[in-house]
Amino acid sequence: MKEYRLDCLGEACPIPLIKAEKKMETMAVSDVLIVMIDHSCAMKNVPEWARKQGHNVDIEEVGDGEWEVIIEKVK
Amino acid sequence: MSEKGVSKRKAKVSQIPYAIVLIVALGAFINFLYSKNPNIAVALIFGLGFGYILQRSRFCFTAAFRDLWLTGSTSLTRAVILAIALATVGFTVIKFKAFLAGAEVIPGNAHSIGAIGIPLILGGIMFGIGMVIAGGCASGTLMRVGEGFTMQMISLVFFVAGSLWGVHDMTFWSKLNVGVPRIFLPDTFGWAGALLIQALLLLGTYLAAIWWQKKKMGSTE
Repeated sequence: MKEYRLDCLGEACPIPLIKAEKKMETMAVSDVLIVMIDHSCAMKNVPEWARKQGHNVDIEEVGDGEWEVIIEKVK
Repeated sequence: MSEKGVSKRKAKVSQIPYAIVLIVALGAFINFLYSKNPNIAVALIFGLGFGYILQRSRFCFTAAFRDLWLTGSTSLTRAVILAIALATVGFTVIKFKAFLAGAEVIPGNAHSIGAIGIPLILGGIMFGIGMVIAGGCASGTLMRVGEGFTMQMISLVFFVAGSLWGVHDMTFWSKLNVGVPRIFLPDTFGWAGALLIQALLLLGTYLAAIWWQKKKMGSTE
């Protein structure tokens, strides 16, 4: 199981979503991706997209207006 | 799920004192506006309420039109359709009441029955490209400026600049709108017919949105 971090701080939506989508494609099953975001819209659409794809998702608010979305690839 | 890679939560400074100061200051400001012109005070209260709901619900008009193509998700698209449906009911009541009272000009119709012409199409395309690049439409950009997102402060500056530029060239654009249709549905189909057509169109779009998401994502959530 590998862990990747994706720095999307300062990037407006939908850039974090597209970056996460591209990164997930290159990852193996059970790898974990941590997307760092500070755009409130991405905080909604990144987890929503990942959940609809069937992955395990967790959101951590690491600071005021800064989040880390943890996605575990399940398929 | 392992969370070892997650950053430690940064020390948080309580923002509640600032919120209290802000609310008191806003209250005083609204009171001041009310003494000058009650309508402006009411408009400010509605604006604050709208902004609050927009921020808390993460409602995003840009995503409503963009996510269709990007991820296939239509949850925000359907939210916008529902919002239009609700607004239709409210606006119909206001307009129909004025119509029954024999108003010469139906409220809101004097300036906002838009001309369906080339400027509308060009503007729509330009706005659509711009809002996807900027990551927000007008309300979304304002909301995120309030949240402190730096990039969108730049968007706001150019949003204002672009609007002023548009107003500056308005005489040119108005020339392209001469003789194009301006349609107010109740004039064409009657009040009941207009309401029915609007409702059917919204229902049709809503069902199409569900079908689209099912096709693109395989879920209807």
